[in-house]
Amino acid sequence: MIEIENLNVRFGSAIAVESVNLLVGKGESFGLVGESGSGKSTLLRTVMGLNRNWTGTIRLNNQDIRSAGRAALVRTAQMVFQDPYASLHPRFTVGNALAEPMRINGLPNISRRTAELLELIGLSQDYASRFPHELSGGQRQRVAIARALSLSPRILLLDEPTSALDVSVQAEILNLLNRLREELGLTFLLVSHDLAVISYMCERLMVMQNARTVEVLTRGDLRAGALKQDYTRNLFRASLHGVRPGVQP
Amino acid sequence: MTITVPPLQATDTASHPARMREVQKFARRFLRNPLGVAGLAILLLLVLAAALAPLLAGHDPYLPDLAGRLAPPGATHWFGTDELGRDIFTRILYGARLTLLIVGLVVVTSAPLGLVIGAAAGTAGGFADAAFMRLTDVFLAVPKLMLALAFVAALGPGIVNAALAITLTSWPPYARLARAEALVVRDSDYVNAIRLAGGSELRIIFLHVIPMCISSVIVRMTLDMAGIILTAAGLGFIGLGAQPPLPEWGAMISTGRKFIFDQWWVATIPGCAIFIVSLGFNLLGDAMRDLLDPHLRRRA
Amino acid sequence: MNRSLAVIENLGIAFSGEDGKPVHAVKGVSFSVGREKLGIVGESGSGKSLSCRALMGVLPPSASITASRLEFSGIDLLRASPRTRRQLRGGQMGMILQDPKFSLNPVMTVGRQIAEAVRLGDRRLSVSSIRRRVLEVLESVHIRGPERVYDLYPHELSGGMGQRAMIAMMVVREPELLIADEPTSALDVTVQAQVLEIMDELVRRRGMGLIFISHDLNLVSRFCDRVLVMYAGRIVETLEAGRLAEARHPYTRGLLACLPAIDGPLTPLPTLERQADWREIPA
Repeated sequence: MIEIENLNVRFGSAIAVESVNLLVGKGESFGLVGESGSGKSTLLRTVMGLNRNWTGTIRLNNQDIRSAGRAALVRTAQMVFQDPYASLHPRFTVGNALAEPMRINGLPNISRRTAELLELIGLSQDYASRFPHELSGGQRQRVAIARALSLSPRILLLDEPTSALDVSVQAEILNLLNRLREELGLTFLLVSHDLAVISYMCERLMVMQNARTVEVLTRGDLRAGALKQDYTRNLFRASLHGVRPGVQP
Repeated sequence: MTITVPPLQATDTASHPARMREVQKFARRFLRNPLGVAGLAILLLLVLAAALAPLLAGHDPYLPDLAGRLAPPGATHWFGTDELGRDIFTRILYGARLTLLIVGLVVVTSAPLGLVIGAAAGTAGGFADAAFMRLTDVFLAVPKLMLALAFVAALGPGIVNAALAITLTSWPPYARLARAEALVVRDSDYVNAIRLAGGSELRIIFLHVIPMCISSVIVRMTLDMAGIILTAAGLGFIGLGAQPPLPEWGAMISTGRKFIFDQWWVATIPGCAIFIVSLGFNLLGDAMRDLLDPHLRRRA
Repeated sequence: MNRSLAVIENLGIAFSGEDGKPVHAVKGVSFSVGREKLGIVGESGSGKSLSCRALMGVLPPSASITASRLEFSGIDLLRASPRTRRQLRGGQMGMILQDPKFSLNPVMTVGRQIAEAVRLGDRRLSVSSIRRRVLEVLESVHIRGPERVYDLYPHELSGGMGQRAMIAMMVVREPELLIADEPTSALDVTVQAQVLEIMDELVRRRGMGLIFISHDLNLVSRFCDRVLVMYAGRIVETLEAGRLAEARHPYTRGLLACLPAIDGPLTPLPTLERQADWREIPA
């Protein structure tokens, strides 16, 4: 579904992504891990066409994104942003925010579809008339997910979808995403700095550092600690604090 | 580029209660600011005076009464009479109409013009931004009154031309303001989300960026109104705004100048009117800024 | 635990709401902190930051505070003059915020800002001894090349470096009590460990008291000696360090259970069912 070959992204003289190759299959959930500045979010934004200065090839659902044009791609891939407090227009009600992508693309039955989307994310219908500032962070992120799904894309790109949320809300959002992936047969490309989230959500993952790929692992590799690179081992050690009730640390 | 016009009505009915709640909340917060309420009261008084001028005034604003010229304030003429014996109170009331006309004309032309230019420049960026903003710089570099003077000189004096002249000089600050907001909004994730959904730049400017610029423009507009009144009065004073016998406040001061030492009221009363109305707009503007300014709203 | 540095008893903080009625953000909170690492954990809006800001005396004026006791090293803060409280803030109490970008002055070099803090502490010091002191403290928070960092502006520092500079600025006055409000949340995991180590060292070496505010229960329980769990403006549970597994309150257990783990099961994560009676003060 997602094919990236030899991708390079530059901001002025700084290199944000350097010779990255990536292949994500249909229905797969793929994770991108790395620390801040490793280029993982830039990669995501480039795939969505939000960066201009890049070289290489990106194909989504077998369409080259340079030649396919926006209109063909909007129904293929959509994105959920990191900060739900910044990704919803403050002057748009939830209903309007969900309807806007459908209006742009001239879809029929907008109000019925809006109602369906609200149901899909587990919010009652009267949320349609609320403004973002009347919602909690978790509710906002649900709305942002529903907006991304409003055009029924096949691929969902998720940029740290839970890092701005409380842990209890994170669990709800992750559960929702997993349910949606199963129900709608979506392909995920998920960026996170949290190895535990990636391990829970993704079948395969790529570790990035300083704009480059460090290594690509399967979930099994990660869980077994079968890590080839020192950098990944460091990251793994620093992240490993999974204490659960009933288990001594 | 195709722009599909959104069928806003369908969802707007759904959002009606939410908007009502917002309006109520806004009103409650406004009422907690006594100075703002005072400003609003002054302006309501101005509007009332303008609307009910024929009922409130006991005299004709234009009919000379040479027998009673330059009468001091008293029971028959509350604010006295001018050099042609016209009742100053009546002329102040009718002058309120002219003041509102000018302010209204300037505001409905300059603010939207500046808003659209600024939002478009800020959102588009690149060459369009540079071109629009240099144009703005040119207008800002010319002294306001000079430009207005030149314009009136070219088109001839009169109230509408005065308003147009003021518009010509007062849109650039709105453009700057709107551009500054647009620069922030255009890179925000909620606008990116619309880009990802295939929204055109025009749609983004008009439906998504401009609503975010409006509150700062409204604040600026309210604060500017006092300035507009002063400029209009200034033009009237030097004889390039409203023409006699129109009871424009600036023109009234101008004629009263000749009698300033012996018949002080002829110039002073219109001066007070200008002062009070400007103050009203400023008070209201300050209150609006406290409520609407996105930079002040981020309270700790 | 030895003598208490700060004692809070029955603290309440209220703001006036949109409709004029008071909204209680913190209710009946009591705790004391000695020369130890005390962790306070809770979700956003649980009142953890507000409680500590009340101790610091940096709440916005719209907040109204009630308490039966609010003391810092024997000084009654409820009756202390604004001047006394300011002196306490500058000397014996320090606070580190989440994002160093917002707490450092952007137009002043790091060195000068720390020097300013030194000078305020002791006005008789000479310029050269102040500089020496600043370089020392920069070194003590493990900043490599303190001479170079001295002349850098805050925007030229990385997140971890900025947070270390912030800590340096706070500890240079040798406070008795340091309040760290989510000091590592904006940092990468590997940098996080270093910053925690520095703070731990300072507590051990200087016998300082530390209040560590965080939303990360695991992190806090590994790092601190004692953990308070807050929910909806109240303390629902107090835990000894490392005894996280013995947490009794359903809220604490829920918080722990809903975290994914690298080697955890792939079944849907348990979510927190919020109970109304958690809002009551526990017996």
